[in-house]
Amino acid sequence: MNQFIDITLDLLNGFSYTLTIFFVTLLLALPLGLIIAFGSMAKFKPLSALTRGIVWIIRGTPLMLQLLVVFYGPGLIMGQILMTEPTAVYLTFTINYACYFSEIYRGGIESISRGQYEAGKVLGMTKSEIFFKVILLQVVKRIIPPMSNEVITLVKDTSLARVIGYYELIYFAQRYQKNAGLLWPLFYTAIYYLVFTALLTFLFRWLEKKLDYFKA
Amino acid sequence: MNMLEIKNLRKRFGNTEVLKGVNLSLEKGEVLSIIGSSGGGKTTLLRCLNFLETADSGEIIVGGKSVYCATEGEKPVVTPEAQLSFGLVFQQFNLFPQYSVIDNLMLAPKLRAKRMSKSGKHESQEEILARAEELLTTVGLRDKRDNYPCELSGGQQQRVAIARALMLSPEILCFDEPTSALDPELTGEVLRVIRSLKDSERTMIIVTHEMEFARHVSDKVIFITDGVIAEAGTPEEIFEHPKTKKLQAFLSHTKNDQDFT
Ligand SMILES: Nc1ncnc2c1ncn2[C@@H]1O[C@H](COP(=O)(O)OP(=O)(O)O)[C@@H](O)[C@H]1O
Ligand SMILES: [Mg+2]
Repeated sequence: MNQFIDITLDLLNGFSYTLTIFFVTLLLALPLGLIIAFGSMAKFKPLSALTRGIVWIIRGTPLMLQLLVVFYGPGLIMGQILMTEPTAVYLTFTINYACYFSEIYRGGIESISRGQYEAGKVLGMTKSEIFFKVILLQVVKRIIPPMSNEVITLVKDTSLARVIGYYELIYFAQRYQKNAGLLWPLFYTAIYYLVFTALLTFLFRWLEKKLDYFKA
Repeated sequence: MNMLEIKNLRKRFGNTEVLKGVNLSLEKGEVLSIIGSSGGGKTTLLRCLNFLETADSGEIIVGGKSVYCATEGEKPVVTPEAQLSFGLVFQQFNLFPQYSVIDNLMLAPKLRAKRMSKSGKHESQEEILARAEELLTTVGLRDKRDNYPCELSGGQQQRVAIARALMLSPEILCFDEPTSALDPELTGEVLRVIRSLKDSERTMIIVTHEMEFARHVSDKVIFITDGVIAEAGTPEEIFEHPKTKKLQAFLSHTKNDQDFT
């Protein structure tokens, strides 16, 4: 019983690393994704082509591979590792998720009817006023379902951090397997993920309800 | 002096010339109806006036002041004042779905006041609210002030859209087929509101297929086909004594069934 509590607390410590990766990635990738979305929709063709190319590469290769390239790549080329593990993890996750988010944003933004922009324009609103006061909330409402999918995937993707030897929940659990031959802590981690994704599911459902008052 | 003068307005999309030199003038308080079959360029004309399209060449003069003057290959910047000389009511209403009726009316004026607060004189929040409530009364929707667009009928939404356009006090209010998206039984309430605006001396340009309405409400009527004004005149001249073959053919194909009075 004592062992169970000790391991539970130790895994909780491991989960705090998982949560840190999760929140840092979200905090940075949500706004960066919007910038990338604007880039991919730019009227200036070279910019949109470049942005779409980058998004294609990031979405077209495994996140695990990207982590390895970012962490070990500079070492291969310049003979030394440039970043600490957490920096490589935050950087890679942020770029990867920003690219996925950008495609969701783009789909949402392009789905808003032209009439909304035109109505704003003939009422004398500026481009940024139209975007932030008229378009954005309608986009948010439309992208909640795909965003909730992506965010829940992120929770589980954090476990990839261990390929470059950074801590997260599964890393902690595997130490019991290696050091004490205990397998159950590894299986036990599922509970942590399940509880957290349940919380997120509720949060997204609540948000969806909040925006139910209008149709767009 | 003319409230509005349009000189030789031209617009092309790719290789098709959609407006082939439109000239017209309108006095303050006059109502102009634009009729014509689909594809003639009516919407494009209204969109050029509202700067949703940039005319390739021609001049737009409002109240004696040139607000837009383009020559081939050179297009001027549209100033905020030029933009606000015109208002536009869309066929599809285009209300902002996430705002209540009253907030749909107040959004743009509030943002405008905020922008202007940097340079001194601007309207206060209370003044904006008072005007919004007054306009809602004018269009008969005072009791819907806190409803959302999705809770309104098409006719009610269009009346909100009219009030919203009026909040910016445009010199000239344009309507692009304001009742075409409505069920027949709802067109009357919208046409009545437009009619009531005529009584308050508002300069208006109305693209419409409601011939009976156009005949009663207009001071001038123009018939646009293939990007040119094929015929212009008083309602009586246009409807009772059409001169061109095209207008005669057009009128014989449209029948009237709407009672708006
Ligand atoms: N954005 C556009 N791009 C290309 N062609 C257009 C565009 N808008 C309108 N047109 C064309 O211009 C012509 C006039 O259209 P429009 O002004 O909508 O006519 P109306 O309102 O009289 O029916 C049509 O042939 C239409 O296909
Ligand atoms: Mg049209």
